[in-house]
Amino acid sequence: MRIDERGGVASAGTESGEAIDPSKEKHVNDSLPHTEAQSAAALSDAAKVWREQHYDAEAKEKGERRAFLTDTGIEVRPLYTPLDVQESGRSYLEDIGFPGQYPFTRGDRAGMFRTESFAVSAYSGFGEAQDCNQRFRTLVDWGAEQLLVALDLPTQCGYDSDHEMSTGEVGQVGVAIDTMADMEALFDGIDITQVKRVGTLGNSIGPIVLAMFAVLGERRGLDWSQYTVNLQNDPLKEYIARGTQILPAEAAARLATDCVAWCADHAPHWSPMTVCVNHINAGGAGSSRAAAIALSNALHYIDLLLEKGYGIDQVAPLLHMFPDERHDFFVSVANLRALRRSWARLMKERYGATRPEAMALRMTVYGHGQETLQEPLNNIVRIGFGTLAYVLGGASYIYIASYDEAVSTPTEESVKVALRTQQILAHEHGFTDTIDPLGGSYFVETLTNQVEDQIRRALREIEDAGGAQAVISTGLGRRWMTEGAVRRQRAIDSGSRPWVTVNKWPQRPNVPNTAFRIDSRTVQKQMQRVARVKATRDPARVEAALAAIDEACRTGANMVPPTIEAVKALATVGEICERWKSHFGVFQPSTDF
Amino acid sequence: MAASERKVRVLVAKVGLDGHDVGARVIARGLLDAGMEVIYTGLRRTPEQVVRAALEEDVDVIGISILSGAHLTLLPRLRQLLSEAGAQDIGLIAGGVIPQEDIGPLKEAGVNEIFLSGTPVPEVVHYIKERYGDRT
Repeated sequence: MRIDERGGVASAGTESGEAIDPSKEKHVNDSLPHTEAQSAAALSDAAKVWREQHYDAEAKEKGERRAFLTDTGIEVRPLYTPLDVQESGRSYLEDIGFPGQYPFTRGDRAGMFRTESFAVSAYSGFGEAQDCNQRFRTLVDWGAEQLLVALDLPTQCGYDSDHEMSTGEVGQVGVAIDTMADMEALFDGIDITQVKRVGTLGNSIGPIVLAMFAVLGERRGLDWSQYTVNLQNDPLKEYIARGTQILPAEAAARLATDCVAWCADHAPHWSPMTVCVNHINAGGAGSSRAAAIALSNALHYIDLLLEKGYGIDQVAPLLHMFPDERHDFFVSVANLRALRRSWARLMKERYGATRPEAMALRMTVYGHGQETLQEPLNNIVRIGFGTLAYVLGGASYIYIASYDEAVSTPTEESVKVALRTQQILAHEHGFTDTIDPLGGSYFVETLTNQVEDQIRRALREIEDAGGAQAVISTGLGRRWMTEGAVRRQRAIDSGSRPWVTVNKWPQRPNVPNTAFRIDSRTVQKQMQRVARVKATRDPARVEAALAAIDEACRTGANMVPPTIEAVKALATVGEICERWKSHFGVFQPSTDF
Repeated sequence: MAASERKVRVLVAKVGLDGHDVGARVIARGLLDAGMEVIYTGLRRTPEQVVRAALEEDVDVIGISILSGAHLTLLPRLRQLLSEAGAQDIGLIAGGVIPQEDIGPLKEAGVNEIFLSGTPVPEVVHYIKERYGDRT
């Protein structure tokens, strides 16, 4: 228990104004062999001597290799010592604490990976449902514990496969799902009670995909308590970063929160909303600003739910977050720790949450590195390191990019390497043997504090500008992203951010001919299935179900129940979205750059 | 205006449903910084809408960003529509993730140049200036 007391002492003399307890100080000295009996002042002197007489002297002679700056703009110093932790003014018990306890910096559960490893998860989908079903079965055989369906762009954007806008896109970046018949073919023979979670992104069509997963279980005679559905269902970031938006943002936020509300009433252990940092960061915002935008989106959804009459302790556990940092390994670890702490404080201090589950943020991540089209096998290493940071940061659900993902839909071989990488991280090298293994690192604790400060400042800036909707409507989100993307591009073009095979030992980018291709029969097969469904379904039942959707649009009633009826009646994704569009209108794309 | 003073006009466009437009915006900004006049269409345009905008804006070249895999359908369609509109002289270049074996057929279908993801922005600037810098 000395470690805890050491932490407690590190807080002494901080803004909390606690006096130093001499009995504890004894322990500090015992447990810090490198500083032995030195007082803080002696340590400070020693650090100064090292810096000036040793490090600076050598750096002056040899020169530093380059400026050391994180992608988020934090200057990385040559060395971190206990002084950095002391000077931060943070207290171990108040700011770091224990896993599963407020403010959850060290983990969302007490046992973390010692009692249950992170979920080895697969995001997959291509072509039409029957072909894709074979891949899903293979993934489960290989040990995937969670299946997240990658939908093609027409489905994500609310167009049926036979719509003009779907030309060339059917089955390209995911599987085509037009009706419940496709969904049943996709999960044929897969026991959804034997995986930890099933789900999809469905950001702009949340009620439809939620309804499909609810009906999938119902058709199999399952109770909703017997399996777990996870959705991304975070439409607001689509307007800033990902681009599958259909409706104006406010209507989209309402439909998304209808899904959370429905789950709170009918399936409270599902995770119907995963608020995303990743696309906003990847688009250029940087991981701290992107986290702040995502937090402001989450707060907006929560506010809508509270307006509907739900309590914070009821809805907060249903929201997960999806952090992201791909440039800097240690910033990534710090980002996850800082985000858990930020979330806990917002839930407790702003909303008065009392249940630990409402304050303990569960995280989904997608392991990436800075992948290249040049020599793509190197991406295995990059992605492995990027994912390791998420493991060390304590993410609960981990997806991982395949090394050829920058090229196209991953091949079976590259998906297998990705899945095995996760299993290696979970079970080899001792990565998961102790909880929060980098906690207490002078560097990582300092970064955690700095990242938390960056997130807090950016969130304040967003709230001063008017909050989540203003991030979209004023262009603030896109401005942050473009600024960052241009800065990153310049850092690459100038070589100030080293990138092997791009600006160091540069090679020509290459998209190999072995890139995965959709079977040419796919579109035809999908069109035939939709035509067959439309010819054999009961048109009166479809019309009645769609009329009920119209009614929910008008009254503001929860959209999920009428969507469940429409899905059962075999209405198409496009037909349901057309009703929404006719009531709410459509989004207007921005031409700013 | 003297020919030498006329700035190169570029339409940067997203066609189809692919919503990833960071690359398009970074390129648009890079071309603007290099002294060109740049118009960006925003997301989710049809080939017909892109060609109409190119004619209305009197551009020298259209730059298409495409990452979704629909390039073999959408890029030849753009060149066909340009020809039908009597605008064969408008350049058509594309950037994104395009397999090696598709590059030949795309060039045969009238795509002037293809830049894969990861191409430095100055290389694209240089190409456009060389090829379209002294027109009209």
